[in-house]
Amino acid sequence: MVKTIASIFISLAAILGIAAYEIHSVGNTFRTFSRALIALYNKTEDKTATYEDGCAVRSFWKEKKRTLHVWIPHTSIENVDYQLNEALGYLYQQKYDDALPKIEVLIEMSDKIPRSYSFSFENIF
Amino acid sequence: MGLIFIRTIIIFVTLLVIMRLMGKRQIGEMQPFELVITLLIAELACIPMADTSIPLLYGIIAIVTIYFLHQIVCLFDLGFKPMKALLSGKPSIVLNKDGIDITQLKKNNLDVSDLIESLRGAGYFSLDALDYALYEANGSFSALPKKDYESLQTSLPIILIDEGKFDKKNLERTGKDKDYFLGVLREHGCKDEKKVLIMTIDGNGKAYLQKNGEKYQVLELNWEEKQW
Repeated sequence: MVKTIASIFISLAAILGIAAYEIHSVGNTFRTFSRALIALYNKTEDKTATYEDGCAVRSFWKEKKRTLHVWIPHTSIENVDYQLNEALGYLYQQKYDDALPKIEVLIEMSDKIPRSYSFSFENIF
Repeated sequence: MGLIFIRTIIIFVTLLVIMRLMGKRQIGEMQPFELVITLLIAELACIPMADTSIPLLYGIIAIVTIYFLHQIVCLFDLGFKPMKALLSGKPSIVLNKDGIDITQLKKNNLDVSDLIESLRGAGYFSLDALDYALYEANGSFSALPKKDYESLQTSLPIILIDEGKFDKKNLERTGKDKDYFLGVLREHGCKDEKKVLIMTIDGNGKAYLQKNGEKYQVLELNWEEKQW
């Protein structure tokens, strides 16, 4: 009986601990990523963004996505990769008007991805 | 991960309720919650293993959640008797000294022919050879035979009337017609076959007759020769 109760508490603590870390870690990463994207968006809107600015955002993303693979489906990460590379391509060619919608999609995604793992009715069902 | 935890709990509870509602017919040698775990665990392990787009941790968390739920059910099973009955069910006595208890059979989504099949599986061929028969909570079948039960089953009984309906093939096998048996029924206070829950007959002419809501009777039909 004691062993059963102990195993219940240990497994519950492990699950809740992992869940809390996931929410904190994924949320933090995407918040920082979103801030970097908003800065890039503003610079692109002013037509002052450079390819290097885009590369800096990509470096941050590359560094973080290694751990994100543990928490979120790999297809979501691939979608971010795809949009980011497209935006970088336009920045390289200085096609600011084409880069803007791509960065906007990325900002939207960095807001939506962590929200799709939060506790809410629509996510549970 | 929290979402997977909650979703796994919802699926587990839903499956457990459904298994309990389905009755003992769906279970074989396992408690309902053990069957639910068996159903879930294989899928939970397979999906993240085969689909590389899903993080492996999703499967691990779901499996740990199943373990957590299993331990909770075990705790209730051991510590709280009313919960044990709710989660795993209770044994159902489907045959007693008065005969077949149709209410208990129906509760478990079984009929008389299922009971007779279970009896045969346990080595008993005649309904009157038993004092008690029951389905355990895990769906297995147990029976308590009468002292001299072997002498009561000298020929294979076949079902003649099952819940108010004649079995035409078995009727032909007896070599008698429907009117003959209707006459037998009338002699024993039964207007027609609709009032009969079960009537079996063996090759020596020994009949087991149980009318709806009444105690069973064993009739000797005095056939001149053994039929089978």
